[in-house]
Amino acid sequence: MTQKKDALLYVGPATLFLFLVILVPLGFVAWTSLHTGDSWSFAAYTQLFESVLFRRTLWTTFEISILASLGSLLLGYPVALHLARVSARKRAIYMVLVLIPFWTSILVKSFAFTVLLGRSGMVNTFLSWLAGSPVEVPMLFNRLGVMVGMTNYLVPFVVFPVLASLLAIDRSLYQAAEIMGAKPPRIFFRITLPLSLPGVAAAVLSTTVMSMGFFVIPALLGGRQDVMLSNLVDFYTRETLDWNMASAIGVILLGIVTIAALGVDRLQKFGARPRTAAV
Amino acid sequence: MNDSTLLDPQARAYGNMRTVIVAIVLVFLLAPSLLVIPISFGGPGEITFPPRDFSWDLYRQLFTSADWVGAIMRSLRVAVLTMVIALLIGVPAAYGLVRYDFPGKKLVLLLVMSPILIPVIVISLGLYLYLSRLGAVGTVSGLVAAHVAYVTPFVMMTVMAGVKKLDPALEFASSIMGANRRTVFFKVVLPQLLPSIGAGALFAFLISFDEVVIAWFLTGASTTTLPVKMYSSIQWDISPVISAVSALLTFLSILFCCLSVWLQPSQRTE
Repeated sequence: MTQKKDALLYVGPATLFLFLVILVPLGFVAWTSLHTGDSWSFAAYTQLFESVLFRRTLWTTFEISILASLGSLLLGYPVALHLARVSARKRAIYMVLVLIPFWTSILVKSFAFTVLLGRSGMVNTFLSWLAGSPVEVPMLFNRLGVMVGMTNYLVPFVVFPVLASLLAIDRSLYQAAEIMGAKPPRIFFRITLPLSLPGVAAAVLSTTVMSMGFFVIPALLGGRQDVMLSNLVDFYTRETLDWNMASAIGVILLGIVTIAALGVDRLQKFGARPRTAAV
Repeated sequence: MNDSTLLDPQARAYGNMRTVIVAIVLVFLLAPSLLVIPISFGGPGEITFPPRDFSWDLYRQLFTSADWVGAIMRSLRVAVLTMVIALLIGVPAAYGLVRYDFPGKKLVLLLVMSPILIPVIVISLGLYLYLSRLGAVGTVSGLVAAHVAYVTPFVMMTVMAGVKKLDPALEFASSIMGANRRTVFFKVVLPQLLPSIGAGALFAFLISFDEVVIAWFLTGASTTTLPVKMYSSIQWDISPVISAVSALLTFLSILFCCLSVWLQPSQRTE
């Protein structure tokens, strides 16, 4: 009995606070999405699925999220691999280099990219110098700008889980493979890659889920074709004051993310099982 | 293993290739954070890199603008309040969730961790609808409450990791020696947790200080925080002053990053 009372004393305040400040507002979103005027109705949802703007945005959100996630995997995997190979002391230094962008404000990065990727920005200046003639590649307010911004944000979220699963690989496997005469590519494809797959899967799914809710990067670095669901929520809430529609989009976004997160959870349990059994 | 790979020329070639790729990725990761520093010394003209001449003009402009200074002070106040409240509710909750079993524990854990999973735009919309009903949109207390809920899971993750490393025998021993529960928590548990609480505090402060989406929904014209001001400024009129703000934020991030690594040395080797 005292056990339970103690637990309540420790956990109670936070639980109550989050109930009032997270769960109740979520209830408001669900309630608002189902109320048009004074009565219950699915009008907002049917209206959304008939709207070309919503369907296009939904598609764009999926497309950008998946591409950004794969892009950051491509960039993050070699970094994780390198961190797993170097000595602990060097790894600490590299970790700081990955953590600095991780801790940097997304607004600072977005601002820096608007300067770097602009028409006469540093990247275009460099390309012009390489080409020997003026080059103006449009890199801002389009898909490329969004992808650059998003992968930059997501890479640390790939490095951490992949590094964890790379460090969990038994080193004697490498030694055995080398003694048997396996060359580096073979070692990579037969040992490193398959054994790091749980980390890779966790990284890809979690970065995809994270990307679904992105707001600042598509708003600041993207164009009109790169509007994502979050931006649409903002549009309906603040521009057209249609809280009904905004809430319905919020519920749909939450639904998508919840389903994906359940998938991540399943996958992690699935990935953890054979590994613990093997050890 | 390292010795044998050094002998094999093919392995060495792959190693070199990896180093080059990693260097390119790290430059890509760090460039936006670091380039704002030289840009911020470029003077009040057009934003360029590399800057044409060195000057403190942008910083002077920043600190003489009542608007910007007001936003910075407001963000500081919100971040400090958020940090304190999040620690007050998050640290005991983290301890309780690791040490005690009670019915509904999984649900409680899901609830307190949910702000990490739920898209921040949905949280912002919900709070906007909720607070506009209460007439609290645009108030500092509304924003602080929202930020506390948003950062508490990050505080709890850090502190829970710390509690898991504690030896329960110490708490047990002190209670056998006659210490009551309060003494055990304050004299035995808290002192050992200080590094993780410190790291959690850093997280709470910086996340709140940099947070833009919730603040974008919940602040009014007179309660604009620094990130909201930056956001609308980048979107509508890129004023060169932003580069000075950005450089200051980058310094803050580097400082916090180093502090967090110093506070949690175990994470470096794991």
